[in-house]
Amino acid sequence: MLNVENVRKTFGAVTVLDGVNLTVKPGEVVSVLGSSGSGKSTLIRCINGLERLDGGRITVDGFDVSRPKELAEARKRSGTVFQLFNLYPHMTALRNITLAPIEVLKRPKAEAEAEGRALLASVGLEDRADAYPAQLSGGQRQRVGICRALAMKPSYLLLDEVTSALDPEMTAEVLNILAKLAGNGTTMVFVTHEIEFARQISDRIVFLEKGVLLVDLPTRDFFAQDGGLAQPRVAQFLSKMRKD
Amino acid sequence: MRFDLSVLVPHLGFLASGAMLTAAVCGLALVGSVVLGMAVAIARTSSGGWARRAAYAYVDLFRNVPFIVQLFFFYYGLPEIGIYIDAFTTGVIALSIAGGAYASDAIRAGILAIDNGILEAAEVSGLSKRVTFTRIVLPIALRTSVRPLGSVLINMILTSSILSTITLNELTGQAKIVASDTFRPFEVYFVLLVVYAALTYLVSIGIALLHRRLNRDLMGQVS
Repeated sequence: MLNVENVRKTFGAVTVLDGVNLTVKPGEVVSVLGSSGSGKSTLIRCINGLERLDGGRITVDGFDVSRPKELAEARKRSGTVFQLFNLYPHMTALRNITLAPIEVLKRPKAEAEAEGRALLASVGLEDRADAYPAQLSGGQRQRVGICRALAMKPSYLLLDEVTSALDPEMTAEVLNILAKLAGNGTTMVFVTHEIEFARQISDRIVFLEKGVLLVDLPTRDFFAQDGGLAQPRVAQFLSKMRKD
Repeated sequence: MRFDLSVLVPHLGFLASGAMLTAAVCGLALVGSVVLGMAVAIARTSSGGWARRAAYAYVDLFRNVPFIVQLFFFYYGLPEIGIYIDAFTTGVIALSIAGGAYASDAIRAGILAIDNGILEAAEVSGLSKRVTFTRIVLPIALRTSVRPLGSVLINMILTSSILSTITLNELTGQAKIVASDTFRPFEVYFVLLVVYAALTYLVSIGIALLHRRLNRDLMGQVS
C-alpha cells in the first residue's frame, strides 16, 4: 500500500502541498489531475523522495520515505517515469534499462539483459536495444524510460506527465503502452493532462487544486454530475481542458 | 645573410630526439593532469569540507603563479630542504600540477553542466552516489570536456619549452644547442616555430576527431 498522510510541502513562502491524503492499493490505477502549478508533480517527487516533506508522512509498503534508512527500501518499491525522459545520454537503450538492476539489485548481467530485451520487445523496441537516446524519437525515448522503471520490478509505477513533451502521435504510442500495463494489473499513480485517457484506464481520479486534494473519487463518480462535477472548480477545469 | 635550411640536416636526428622528449613529457603530464584534475574537480564539486577548500586553494595558487617560478621552486628550491628530483621527473610533475589546475576547471564545468533530471533518475532508481558518479557523472563530464582538455594539452606542449631552463633538453633545449653549434639561430628557430605550430595543429585536429567520436551518440540531443 502507498500511503500519503497529511503531507505538506512548501517552497519558501509558497505552500505547494497542503495536507494531502492519498492511498493507493496494489493493482489500482489512480490518476492525478489538476491545473499547472497545482502540486501534482511535487506530489510524485515527494513519494519518490526527491523532495523533503515539511509535514505529514509517506509510506511505501510501510517504508517511510522521510527516514533515510527506509528510503532505499521505499525507492525499490516505486519506479518513476519522467516528463523529460531523463535517460542516461551516454548509454544505449539496453544499458539504460539494465544499469540499476545490475548495480542495485545485483542481478547477473546476462539475466538483466535478457529481461531488458524482453521489456524493449514488449514496447515494440526490440530492434533499438543498441541505440543511444539521441538516436531515438521522443516517443521511443519515453518507452525506454518506462522500461527502465519497470526493470526494477516496482510495486508502484509513478508517472509524472509522461506525455507532456510529446506530439499527439508519440503520445498515442506511449499511452498504448500504459493502457497495456494498466490492463495487466500494474499499480500506477498517473499525473497527467490526458483527461480522456485517464478516464479510460483509472480506477480512481483525484483532483489537486493549489496544493489541496479537492476530490478523490472512483472514476465513474468523478465524471458524474452529482460527483466530481458538483465541485465548481472541477467542472470548470474539465470544460476548459476539453475546449483546448 | 643567406637562408639555408640544409645546414640543419646533420642535426635533424638530434632535434628529433628533443621532440621525442617533448612528446614523452607532455604525454605523461597529460595523464597526470587529467587524473589530478579529475580528483580536484570531484573535491570542488563536493558538498563542502576541507577537501573543497584545499582544492580551491590549489587551483587559485597554481593558476596565479608563473610556470617558470613553480618549476624553479621544484628544481632549485626543493633540494635545499633535501628533496632531489631529476629534471625529467620534475618536468612531468610540474606540468601535471600546473595542467591539473586548468584540467580541473574543464572537468568541473563538465560535471556542473549535467542535466539535473539525469541525476534524479539515477537517484530514484536507487543507484549509490559512488555508482552514479563513476558510471554517469564522470563519463558524461569527460566527454563534454574533451575540447577544453585539448586546450590544456596544447598549452602544455607550449609550456614544456620552459623545461629547457632546468637542463631538460627537449625540443627547445636541443634547438638552443644546435643554434649555438651552427651559429644559424635564424634557421634553427624558424624550424622550431614551424615544428611547434605543426605539432599543436595536429593535436587540435586529433582532439576534434576524438570529441566527435566520443560524442557521436549525443549529437542532435535535445538538451
